[in-house]
Amino acid sequence: MESAVADFAARVAELAGSESWSADFGNAKVRVDRSRWVEAVEAVRDGAGLAFFSFLSAIDWSNEVAVGDPLEETVEERYEVLVRLSSGKNNDSVTLSTDLPKNDARIQTLSNVYGGANWHEREAAEMFGIEFEGHPNLDRLYLTDEFEGHPLRKTYPLLSREIKPWPGMVDVEDMPSTENPEADSGGVAEQLPSNAEGVAVPSEEGDEA
Amino acid sequence: MSQTLDPRAAAHVSEVAVSVELQTPGMTINIGPQHPSTHGVLRLVAELDGERIVNVEPVIGYMHRGYEKLSEVRTYPQITALVNRIDWVSGFANEIPFIVAVERLMEIEVPERAQYIRLILTELARISNHLVFLSSYPLELGASTPLMHALREREHVLELIEGVTGGRFHPNFNRIGGVKPAAGGGSTQKKLAQDLPKGFLAETRAAMERVFAICDDLDTLVMGNEIFHARTKGVAIVPPDLALAYGVSGPNLRGSGVAFDLRKHENYLPYDKFDFDVAVGENGDCFDRYSVRHEEVRQAARIVGQAIDDIPSGPLQAKVPRVIKVPKGETYVRAENPKGEMGYYVVSEGGRIPYRLKIRSASFSNLSILSWALKGLLVPDIIALLGSLDFVLGDVDR
Amino acid sequence: MTFVAVEINFYLLLVLKILVITGVMLGGLLPVILGELKIGAHMQSRVGPYYAGGRWGWAQPMADGLKFFQKEDLIPAAADRHVYKIAPYLLMVSTLSLFVIIPFSPDLIAVDLDLGIFFALAISSLSTLGVLMAGWSSGNKYSLMGGLRAAAQIIAYELPLVLAVIGVVIQAGTLSMVGIVEAQIDMGVPFLIGGQLVGFVIFFIASLAELNRTPFDLPLAESELVMGYLTEYSGFRFAIFFLAEYAGIVAVSAIASTLFLGGYGFWGLDSTVFGPFVLAAKVGILAFLMIWIRWSWPRMREDQLQTLAWKWLIPISLANIMVTAIFKVVF
Repeated sequence: MESAVADFAARVAELAGSESWSADFGNAKVRVDRSRWVEAVEAVRDGAGLAFFSFLSAIDWSNEVAVGDPLEETVEERYEVLVRLSSGKNNDSVTLSTDLPKNDARIQTLSNVYGGANWHEREAAEMFGIEFEGHPNLDRLYLTDEFEGHPLRKTYPLLSREIKPWPGMVDVEDMPSTENPEADSGGVAEQLPSNAEGVAVPSEEGDEA
Repeated sequence: MSQTLDPRAAAHVSEVAVSVELQTPGMTINIGPQHPSTHGVLRLVAELDGERIVNVEPVIGYMHRGYEKLSEVRTYPQITALVNRIDWVSGFANEIPFIVAVERLMEIEVPERAQYIRLILTELARISNHLVFLSSYPLELGASTPLMHALREREHVLELIEGVTGGRFHPNFNRIGGVKPAAGGGSTQKKLAQDLPKGFLAETRAAMERVFAICDDLDTLVMGNEIFHARTKGVAIVPPDLALAYGVSGPNLRGSGVAFDLRKHENYLPYDKFDFDVAVGENGDCFDRYSVRHEEVRQAARIVGQAIDDIPSGPLQAKVPRVIKVPKGETYVRAENPKGEMGYYVVSEGGRIPYRLKIRSASFSNLSILSWALKGLLVPDIIALLGSLDFVLGDVDR
Repeated sequence: MTFVAVEINFYLLLVLKILVITGVMLGGLLPVILGELKIGAHMQSRVGPYYAGGRWGWAQPMADGLKFFQKEDLIPAAADRHVYKIAPYLLMVSTLSLFVIIPFSPDLIAVDLDLGIFFALAISSLSTLGVLMAGWSSGNKYSLMGGLRAAAQIIAYELPLVLAVIGVVIQAGTLSMVGIVEAQIDMGVPFLIGGQLVGFVIFFIASLAELNRTPFDLPLAESELVMGYLTEYSGFRFAIFFLAEYAGIVAVSAIASTLFLGGYGFWGLDSTVFGPFVLAAKVGILAFLMIWIRWSWPRMREDQLQTLAWKWLIPISLANIMVTAIFKVVF
């Protein structure tokens, strides 16, 4: 199965005119140059028969984060726009992605290629502040008109955590046989104890039926 | 005072009145956000010309809870609890693609028994979701009786889900590597932890009998009704290529004639061990979407019946470390949820919390076809189409 | 009143008749409301009214009525006040007037007009006006749409209603209600069997539309227009609309049973004694049929409704008249 995914990724990369592709963890991913974005997507749609538009979104690669864990190694700061296309006949499916520099977050719209891109691009635009050139109506989708800022950017803080710390830290007690979590107050993630609700307990208790 | 009206002048007056009438602008009405039929807080701004629709613009975001941002501050097990609230009618099914994505990144193999239990619960969630749809859709068209009958049968299914997981709508039952033991599970009750509750197999068989019975009832009561046919056949046809381009998935896509079911193509759960058919419609109108879901209930009950007889014994969860750290990588797993294709794109940078979680929800894409499909139809057809797309706002807005 | 030997003052008689008619209307209306609630509930595997008045909930309609009467009198700011206030009463008057010509027995009829049925059809058209007034004056786009839909529907279905009755009139040879029933008794079978089956079906469908009952309740479609032309009405005024609807069911069922089912006559039973009970039974059967249909079927869309009226019911009823006339002349 792995090799089938890799073969498909190679084929799509060829159609898209790109050299870099990967197929880790069953995810066929092809990196495309920003200037060839629309042509590449069209070529993939027509050449590989991927008529189904799954989603379009973005990842904010940033070294300073206001929420969550910071990255262990420094990365080049950019927005990575992902679009997922798949086939309506078999399980061929691929992620195409391209990088946008943070100071120039513009890209061509895909709404002329796939009708479904319309709403997805509106969402990405308001969440990340990316501008999609040529989009028919880049209005707000989720957020109110008075909203300021772009919530899914890593620099946008989760305001409820600023105002008060995660309430679970107060409530959860130590389990008898586990170690104490480190009570480090830096960053939000460190406040979460390791034996919080929902963390998998080793399966000594997995009984037979 | 009593001069007779000059007939030629009178004719002129009436002409003027008529031409003023014809220039009357259309009416713009606002349907929602609080409205009995919009499945939640959805607002539709409709420009009308009499009863004809000129343009409909959906306004969403009333239920936006910021799931993707919240996922960036939660550990993977905590996200499981968050995620089954996206599509609250089919609670269990929301967790599956996420858990499978994490298991794929961690390269864990899930024991067979856990997979079977996941499959059974997913199909029960599908039955529960579709029963709500099959009975609330005629309600929106005016027939209130099917709702009462179908919800009564749905109670049996929900009791089954509750017996196994402890929750009717938000089970939070999946664990990374398997499922949670059914009862107990805290440290003092580790040894007493049971598996599936006693009598589960027999009760499930009985419940599936009732599900088949209610399907037959709905067949005669709703699908055989002439008025229902008149309201739904030929209404709001969605052509297959447009459906694919917009990302419409699930029963909506199959209603348009595209025979694509992720259960047959993806291997996130062992569906290949069971025998079931994929229901496909012909025209892509509201009636086809209804009948596809109707048939899917029967097929889901069939799968559950087969799975119940075959559950293997074994552990319920693979060995996983106490603290879940997911290695660096990205993956996308999609599943055939009752509402359509639901997928999670997990970007992990090697920590306890994901770097980015993109939730691809079925109803978001299903709803985006609304403006296109409603052009030129009548106002009651808005309700017919909204109902037949079967979306919930939690799924649309996340 | 011929069996009373005493001469009663005309005006006293008038007041007496008004009171009796109102009493009959209320007496007929409350069981129908209760029937709708209980029968509908049992058809949906529910119980229905359970607390007001013991297990059978017989006091529920009265309790509902009292509840409505003691509510606050709200008039929306954008409403046209005078029209808003008059609309419910107009509807009620047009429905109440139908009871005037219903024969409960050969002697028990408020006024035995020579034009009995003609009067009934004419005065029931006033309901269009009431509905339009309600929809327009509420100052709400939804209500306006509901009112316009209702008016269009009622006007469309007036024609089949009238044409279906003509067949009966041709066969009976008179417009007077008592005369029609006597003709059926003379014929030995009610007109339903005696040649007016098609006419009965058309009359029944058309009357469902006149009353805005499912499957023709689009003007009141809760799932689309949140009660349509009744959206802005609450309290006492809503109660009047509500009562007018159910009074309409009783009245129309009574007229239908008089015209087609033989009215107060039943083979072998003395009409003057058993007449009212026979009529009540027939009204009950038709009301049950209306309730049954309401709880089983979805509603029709506006254009389908109009198509049904104009393309199907009117031609069929015209054909019915022709066939009846031919039979009457030839045989």
